[in-house]
Amino acid sequence: MSNTSGVQSKSGARLAADIGGTFTDVAAFREGTGELLYGKALSTPQKLVEGISQGVDKAGATFAEADIFLHGSTIAINTMLERSGARTALIVTKGFRDIYEIGRINRPDAYNLYFRKHRPLVQRSLRFEVVERLTAEGDVDTELDEATVNAVCDQLVALDIEAVGIMLLHSYRNNEHERRVKAIVQQRLPHAFVSASHELSQEYREFERCSTVVANAYIGPKVSSYVAGIDDHIARNGFEGSFLLVQSSGGLYESAQAKQHCIRMLESGPAAGVIGARALCHVLGMTEAIAFDMGGTTAKAGVIHNGDALTTGAALVGGYNEALPVQISMIDIFEVGTGGGSIARLDAGGGLCVGPVSAGASPGPACYGLGGEEPTVTDANLILGRLDPRRFLGGEMQLDLAAAQRAMTKRVGEPLGLSLIAAAEGVLRIAATTMSYAVKGVSTERGLDAAAFPLIAYGGAGPLHACAVAREIGTSMVIIPQSPGHFCAFGMLFSDLRYDYVRTAPMRLADASFDEIETLYEGMIAEGMAALAGSGIANAQATTSRAADMRYVGQEHSVTIDLPAEVFASQDRGAIKKHFDDVHLQRYGTCAPNEPGEIVSLRATVSGLMKKPDLSPIASGAAAPPEAARLPSRDVYFTELGKAVSTPIFMRERLLSGNRIEGPALVEEHASTTVVLPGDHLEVDRFGNLMIEIGRSH
Amino acid sequence: MTATAPATKRADAVLTAIIRNGVLAVTEEMKTNLMRTAYNMIIYEALDFTVGLFTPVGDTVSIGLGLPMFIRGMSQTVKAKIAHFGVDAMREGDIYITNDSYLTGSHLNHFTLTMPVFHRGVLAGFTCCMAHWQDVGGNLGGVTTDIYSEGIQIPIMKVQKEGVMNDDLVDIIKMNVRIPERAMGDLRAQITAVKSGERRYKELLDRYGREETLDAIARIMDQSEARARELTRSIPDGVYTAEAFMDDDGVDIGQRVPIKVTISIAGDEATIDLREVSKQVRGYFNSGPTTGYACAEVAYKCITSPTDYPINQGSFRSLKVLLTPGTVISAVRPAAMRQWMTYPMTIVDSLFKALAPAISDRVIAGHHADLMTINMWGIHPKDGRFYFGNFGPLGGGWGAKKTEDGMSATVCLNDGDTHNSPMEQSESKNPVIVRQVALRDDSGGAGRWRGGLGIHRIIEARAPITVNTQIDRQHCAPWGLEGGRDALGNKVNLRISGKLIDDLPNSKVFTRKLEIGDQIHHLSGGGGGFGPPAEREAERVAFDVAEGYVSREQAEKAYGVVIDAQGKVDLQATQARRAAMGKAT
Repeated sequence: MSNTSGVQSKSGARLAADIGGTFTDVAAFREGTGELLYGKALSTPQKLVEGISQGVDKAGATFAEADIFLHGSTIAINTMLERSGARTALIVTKGFRDIYEIGRINRPDAYNLYFRKHRPLVQRSLRFEVVERLTAEGDVDTELDEATVNAVCDQLVALDIEAVGIMLLHSYRNNEHERRVKAIVQQRLPHAFVSASHELSQEYREFERCSTVVANAYIGPKVSSYVAGIDDHIARNGFEGSFLLVQSSGGLYESAQAKQHCIRMLESGPAAGVIGARALCHVLGMTEAIAFDMGGTTAKAGVIHNGDALTTGAALVGGYNEALPVQISMIDIFEVGTGGGSIARLDAGGGLCVGPVSAGASPGPACYGLGGEEPTVTDANLILGRLDPRRFLGGEMQLDLAAAQRAMTKRVGEPLGLSLIAAAEGVLRIAATTMSYAVKGVSTERGLDAAAFPLIAYGGAGPLHACAVAREIGTSMVIIPQSPGHFCAFGMLFSDLRYDYVRTAPMRLADASFDEIETLYEGMIAEGMAALAGSGIANAQATTSRAADMRYVGQEHSVTIDLPAEVFASQDRGAIKKHFDDVHLQRYGTCAPNEPGEIVSLRATVSGLMKKPDLSPIASGAAAPPEAARLPSRDVYFTELGKAVSTPIFMRERLLSGNRIEGPALVEEHASTTVVLPGDHLEVDRFGNLMIEIGRSH
Repeated sequence: MTATAPATKRADAVLTAIIRNGVLAVTEEMKTNLMRTAYNMIIYEALDFTVGLFTPVGDTVSIGLGLPMFIRGMSQTVKAKIAHFGVDAMREGDIYITNDSYLTGSHLNHFTLTMPVFHRGVLAGFTCCMAHWQDVGGNLGGVTTDIYSEGIQIPIMKVQKEGVMNDDLVDIIKMNVRIPERAMGDLRAQITAVKSGERRYKELLDRYGREETLDAIARIMDQSEARARELTRSIPDGVYTAEAFMDDDGVDIGQRVPIKVTISIAGDEATIDLREVSKQVRGYFNSGPTTGYACAEVAYKCITSPTDYPINQGSFRSLKVLLTPGTVISAVRPAAMRQWMTYPMTIVDSLFKALAPAISDRVIAGHHADLMTINMWGIHPKDGRFYFGNFGPLGGGWGAKKTEDGMSATVCLNDGDTHNSPMEQSESKNPVIVRQVALRDDSGGAGRWRGGLGIHRIIEARAPITVNTQIDRQHCAPWGLEGGRDALGNKVNLRISGKLIDDLPNSKVFTRKLEIGDQIHHLSGGGGGFGPPAEREAERVAFDVAEGYVSREQAEKAYGVVIDAQGKVDLQATQARRAAMGKAT
């Protein structure tokens, strides 16, 4: 029960809970003792709050001892994907109620006559128009006719609408009409969740902004009551501190803010993992890394560059072809459909493919013995000896090797004339190359060379495949952090409060008014400072940063350039242009210093830096791992050796700082196994991270 | 071992799968690099480009779309470049260029760059990249009647010779285009693309071996061939024909341009005969034989291997195409080609119509089949500078299928992952204000499954501007299948000095000046319906009426569904109406 350690007063403890599809992970940090505790519980879809409490109990921590509770959840994205949101209406400028349905008109699956478009969250008969119009400069072309707003409200009341999104053209330049419409709607529908587009995005692109505000309204009632439910629950368990949620940007915001800007927590779990990788970089004195997260159905990659996580201004929810865009600041995460549950099968032409179809948790891989008949990546790992059938999930689940072998032989080996081992080994190689393209994809877009970046691998399946993926990319270093299965919860402990703002304000750099620029930045920063003050976190240290989206005159696509405040103070157009040219060169391999540049949008971020946990070193030992860390060897097949060899196995929790292990070897822990390939060299660092040099001959 | 020695090292199923992902990654990276470095929105937003990887003889290994109708354009130019220079004269670091319309099959805006890839001194393939340059000289606006008025023509040449740029050629190009900085920006982007493809393909060859990689590529093509043959075999043997027409060629107003296509199926092979489409026309709607082949390949791929990637030559080994020189899709010099993309869409759609009696569950009713673009230019009141703007494609309705309604408001067949321009952006660049972008009610063809809806857009001038729009398929409406009705066709109206002009003879408005407050209306067509409208479930019709996709009047007239004052189906009246309709037919 939660009062076992109730005698502790506020010890400065920090709790973090990450709710994923299958598991709820909890990380707890006790500032007084420097202890880092973890707990894992099954997610309970009907009552997510219970999973959190169970995880906290398993970690041996309590809400009463904590002064900060950090949380990331899949509730926002699931509400969108499962279409279980509120009865929502959209209010839009006259003449434009269909822009949400028309979208960007693209047809990515170009030869498929059975293509599908995105499906709007709000059907046409619930999209209403009001008379008003602004110009692209933000001037009033047609005044807001409030009678039309009231007429719409009459209908909304009659229709029992629970949530309303408001999207007026060019509101990113002038939000007066949107604010007025919102005020009227709130007055007329006092119980509805009402959201206006400029509150979430002050960037041009009407479809994307519309989709963003509709998504926020649609998930708003459910997500805000979820947040309120947790608020109540933890208060009843003696929590008196600050309840903060993780945004898709990796930054934190306060629960009251989360109840309004629900859409900002869309990708909170994956974002927290990248923030964890960034924190690890800081501890290790590194500025560059790839964060590689592999779970049951997908592998995700993010990039740490110059000590920070790379971000993007929008995400597409629900797969590229039928995506609903959300135009908010997020960590740039590239995803491929390769995970432990990915199925290996033959396509119609007889070619072998691995994923993106996944066996999921049920029936799961053949070896789960739950009726799965198709071989998966997990089955391949088991067949090759990389997983121990008796020690999966710390022995909580027995794996059926014979079932895995049968599935692999029948579905892949026999049809292709491959032996069982060749089939399993082939499946892993295909998976590794596919994932390596995801990693290269996220870096190529930025003009970065993935091979030069250490790979920080986590997620249940990450450590199994990291060394193989690293070889495909050409990376020389892999890092497996402590408790890789809990890494997203760990990452939350290292997040800061963060508020991102954008203002679209097109201007040529040569005739840009620094007064206007300064006014816009000051407005954004003031808004951020107010939000920070409203968060209730007293000791967060405020910092601000500025960026601009820029392009060459005539170019369509813009690039976000981080800019130091000095260039604005000194009104140095040349320095701004130089920053832009440099970034363009780095990202695209070309730049044009003699061509004029222009600003499209200005961006400001206000952060409230929080005190970070200090990682405590683990006990140190000799180069040779202690005997107590050894488990009996078993035969494991390695492509590099072309055969199975007796392979030493170590228990991770018994390894000591300074221990060295030469591949081939396996390192096992509760929820994952690290595969060290032949030729690789592992050393345990002082914090217990596994630092693996790839392919170093010895 | 010499360059011509047969591959002796083989690829197994696993390596073949790895190479499949590998070549896709090569062309994806080329695509990423081209899009991100390109200067003009036609490349970045409209995705009017195509990148690809080719075998040492010029067959397609993988295409990164791009432009779906350019499926044949690059392989054909790679082969022409091989024939022109000869393999023995090709060197590492060469890049070959051309925009010859009669070779690419399209217009002079399409510059293709090709780079041979040598692996340890042996030719292992080519990377190639086509991109649409915004301006290549020639007449501004209006209809052209020969190639010479359409801009600069560059025959097959070396733009880079063993790593050294051909500055003379670059200077000639610069002097012949209106916006040389953009043209040079796009040229640089294309060079980046073919080079990045070369680098990644070499990595693949280094990692897995040249012979093994080429063998894996051969196997990928065999797999695609097997799949295409299997699906061809599932089409009943026979000879299938369809006809359609284009409104006119923009010169001889009202003079219909006939389209007739035939496809024969025999076992696992198909023959597409396009010899009976119209002779080439005076106006600029012609395209070259490469596009004739592309029409056939696009239709064939949609039917036999729609989601097979990478797009490769293997998928077309079971297809034979019959063309004769001098038609609108196999035009010869000096035919005008600037609007090359319009007619081929109708030809592909006609092939689906031809096959409907054989495989009604795999084809689609007619679609709006036009990009519905508009160009505008003039002096911008903001800065007094000359500007040239484009709104990108509008999108329109797509045809219904045997099992589902057609999609609304989607880009036409010529294009794929092409986006429209955000209005909020277009309005900040051009002195116009958009008064409406709405689905065009009742534009979808009625049927058991309804065709998708087109769009009705109204653009109003905020300063005097000149507009140019060249749209077809106003008179040849998107057709229904198996008793489904035709949709509304495309249409352009004007509002001049407050007076609506909605009786233009066609939808081609050349260099028309608009004053402040004047409007141009674009109405894209819908998609054809599928099956008799009287068989559509009455509840679906009621839903369409409630949502406003179908008017009450059309519900009654076309579908025989009577909706009462509460929006519910009036069952009795509907039964009576539908019975009467059944007698009438």
